[in-house]
Amino acid sequence: MNGFSERAAPRRLLRLLPLLSLLAFLSVWHLAALCTDLLATPLDTAKALAGMLFFPTSKVTLLHHVWASLCRVLAAYALAIAAGVLLGVLFGWSRRFHDYCYPIFELLRPIPPIAWIPLIIMWLGIGEPSKIAVCFIGSVVPILVNTYFGVSRLDPTYLKSAKILGAGQRALLTHVILPGALPSILTGMKVALSSGWVCVIAAEMIAARKGLGYLIIRSMESGDMVHILVAMILIGSVNFLFSWLFSKLEGVVCPW
Amino acid sequence: MLRGAVGICGFLLLWECAVQLGAVSAQQLCPPSQVAAAFFTKLADPRPDGATLGAHFIASSSVALGGFLLACLIGLPLGLAMGYYQPVYLLANPIFELLRPIPPIAWIPIVTLLLGIGAQARIFIIFLSAVVPCVINAYTGIRHVPERYIHVGQSLGMSRWRIFTKICIPCALPTLFVGVRLSLNTAWTALVAAEMMASVRGLGYMIQMGRLLIQPDIIITGMLTIGSTGALMSALLSLIEKRLTKWGAER
Repeated sequence: MNGFSERAAPRRLLRLLPLLSLLAFLSVWHLAALCTDLLATPLDTAKALAGMLFFPTSKVTLLHHVWASLCRVLAAYALAIAAGVLLGVLFGWSRRFHDYCYPIFELLRPIPPIAWIPLIIMWLGIGEPSKIAVCFIGSVVPILVNTYFGVSRLDPTYLKSAKILGAGQRALLTHVILPGALPSILTGMKVALSSGWVCVIAAEMIAARKGLGYLIIRSMESGDMVHILVAMILIGSVNFLFSWLFSKLEGVVCPW
Repeated sequence: MLRGAVGICGFLLLWECAVQLGAVSAQQLCPPSQVAAAFFTKLADPRPDGATLGAHFIASSSVALGGFLLACLIGLPLGLAMGYYQPVYLLANPIFELLRPIPPIAWIPIVTLLLGIGAQARIFIIFLSAVVPCVINAYTGIRHVPERYIHVGQSLGMSRWRIFTKICIPCALPTLFVGVRLSLNTAWTALVAAEMMASVRGLGYMIQMGRLLIQPDIIITGMLTIGSTGALMSALLSLIEKRLTKWGAER
């Protein structure tokens, strides 16, 4: 890392700049809201956010929507971790399985998870399973790819020395391969959580009766700008929270 | 290679049999042979969603490329400037960090209300999604230029601008390309989402119509076209990347 090339700017002024930029952002937003009738001002949005968090609008509170989306994403995430790690290890472990099956995966991978939504709705209807399935597709891919990458990049000397030391297949898997691939798996899991979150919002936007994606699309249909902004803020906050949690987790789980 | 072909053929055969033998309802899934047939008819036939596959394809890719190029043109210089000049960083970063966690699809409603459902609105959504990786990677690229390179430039008496253009940018080029590639990917995904929710043309619209009309062949044709176009575009980009960063391979 190089230092910023310094032009002699007063220190104190520099420290004010981030504050200045946020103020500028809010005032531009405010002015834009005053100019067009469509946009809501930051203050209105904040008020609505505070009010809706605990008081129900149309029978359900905002927290209820957040909770619905969270449940879906976490269920799909758990499934995706199980399936992704399993398949990833298999692909890295068995040459034959990799040769036969990886091309199929490669064929399907470029299709964005969101493009699966119509087909999945046709298969599973518009209930919970279809949202979980879309979210699953979105999060299994990064986990699988990163697990496979981690397993295949493992130093062969580790495997050899473990074998020489008399490790069986199972010990090899649990003591060498999985810990060795863990940093890579964690990277995959981090990407997967955020991509799963995006997918669940998308799926809810297309067909749902609750959840943040439902809230945002319903507000669009009724032209309710305040609710759109509130939903955007919440979607962003959850996403931010996820990545913050993960950066904490990475330090705890694999400090090497 | 051979095994891969066997694997894919086996997959297609299994799929074909599953539908033909009635294990899966034909309402929900169509056999691959029917997908292939649908692909060729769709090339010339605008039914049932109002445009041929080619027209949808052109509509989608022109919007995607427009938003993507706009994102590169604005995002890369912004990221580079953020990496090189601290005031720019301090000014732009808070806003950027504030907006970054909001996924592009969450912008669709607000953009639709403000700009309508025209190509303009979709280009804006794609721009929003594609600009993030561009800025991040351009910034990281500049920040990771080894300090000694800059010292060499300084001792050779180069101006700050020349250090920036002759040392920092070439050094950051591989990282820049990572960003450009990521942003192409996200642009394509965001486009499909935008077309599914607010559009009357494009591949995303086509698959959404396929669902409403319960025509799995249209949906799967659309999905495969979307997938292969995405793959093709990133292959094209890696070709350009190889050309531009030839010097990097020798290191």
